[in-house]
Amino acid sequence: MPRLSCLFLLLCSSLALGAERWPSPQWPVQLADSTAAQALQAYAFPARDDRTRTGIRSDALLVVRDGVIVHEAYAGATEASTPHLIWSASKSLFACVLARAADQGLLRLDDPLARHYAPMQKHPQVRIRDVLNWASGLDWQEEYEFAPLRSSVVAMLYTRGRADMGAFAADHPQLHAPGTHFRYSSGDSNLLAAMLRERLGERHADYPWQALFEPLGIRSATWERDASGSFIASSYVYLTARDLARIGLLMQRDGRWGEAQLLPADWVRFMRTPFVGEGVSPGGGVPGGHWWLNRTPAAQPRPWPDAPEDTFAALGHWGQGLYVMPSEGLVVVRYADDREPGFDANRLLALARAAYGRQAQP
Amino acid sequence: MKRLFKWLMLLTVLMLAVLVWRERVHLAAFPGIIGSFTAKEYCSCRYVARMPEDYCRGYVKQWLPATLADDPLARRVSATGLGVTRSAVWLGEREGCRLLTQEDRLASDR
Repeated sequence: MPRLSCLFLLLCSSLALGAERWPSPQWPVQLADSTAAQALQAYAFPARDDRTRTGIRSDALLVVRDGVIVHEAYAGATEASTPHLIWSASKSLFACVLARAADQGLLRLDDPLARHYAPMQKHPQVRIRDVLNWASGLDWQEEYEFAPLRSSVVAMLYTRGRADMGAFAADHPQLHAPGTHFRYSSGDSNLLAAMLRERLGERHADYPWQALFEPLGIRSATWERDASGSFIASSYVYLTARDLARIGLLMQRDGRWGEAQLLPADWVRFMRTPFVGEGVSPGGGVPGGHWWLNRTPAAQPRPWPDAPEDTFAALGHWGQGLYVMPSEGLVVVRYADDREPGFDANRLLALARAAYGRQAQP
Repeated sequence: MKRLFKWLMLLTVLMLAVLVWRERVHLAAFPGIIGSFTAKEYCSCRYVARMPEDYCRGYVKQWLPATLADDPLARRVSATGLGVTRSAVWLGEREGCRLLTQEDRLASDR
């Protein structure tokens, strides 16, 4: 009889080990300090020079393995409680907001934007799925560091477009047939935001919180808007690293949070499917549905060769990144203030994988 | 020789004029960039990310100079660069900061 109860206890504990961990309400934390973890830490946080602002300048690094925080570090003025600007990683979060709206029957991937948003009647063929692939075909100029004068994105955020960013983007002429040509565009993201505002009306202002942030237990979010009231989906979400990791865990687990399937399966699949068409440069990022992928449509080199093929990411200016490696059970958040190129995401992912992946030595 | 020089000058001036005309929309908007960027990003740095003042002044520094005026009580930031002044104001926990438009400024003057 004692042997039987021992067996029962063993069975229970192994079941508990197999159970999924979730940050509800707080993240479970089990920090490690292996040699591999130190190598990861050393790469992300070299000596920091705030005067010259050169080199790799990480503000935060957070690694979550199977729902448990295993690595957490901050630098400079950034702390665990800092809602850090994530810049263009906001775009991927907005795709999740739209997926929630689709789950509630408010819109569909194949809907033309014009069905919900009048200014897009100038471009009646452009569908939500095209815009999520950054393939609206509109003649948009994203470059700003080298061509600030003609940059559409600078004009949208800071000058001519700032009052109504959706309308500003919709005023761009059609250059390619919709859905045929990838052209990275912050205007595309803000067209989606303006469309959601029109679709939801008065419910719009609280929608990302009601639909996405609150179910995930995210409390630190700020999402700035333009003067027309639309969310600036392209650029202006602020979150703590711990809260951004919640989005990563949601995506790692295929849009499911606990028992609830928050994002429809077809949307999750679409977000992680590489766009097939013109304009994708080998060696550049592989666009999915407003997420960046490590899976290429043809036999091309992967953007992050040392990370698994199922890796995907939300990426932003000056080094912001939310990386998800489902086959390794890993979510990596990196906040930064990189003012020059030099940071290598492939290296970071390789080191994170070595320290905390399925094959890692404890 | 002198005549050729004159013609070349005239041609250059003409080409410049055409260029300026073609790019007039972009050129007219351009001087506002520095003031807008500085006001908006400083406002968010201070009142959304809640970073220290020194850090935020460094954070918004660009290759062109700008002056900055912060009213912490109103959480309103104004910045001037290339002779153009722009303002941003903090609106709330969820909304963060927003650049003011022409209409906003007229409304607040009234």
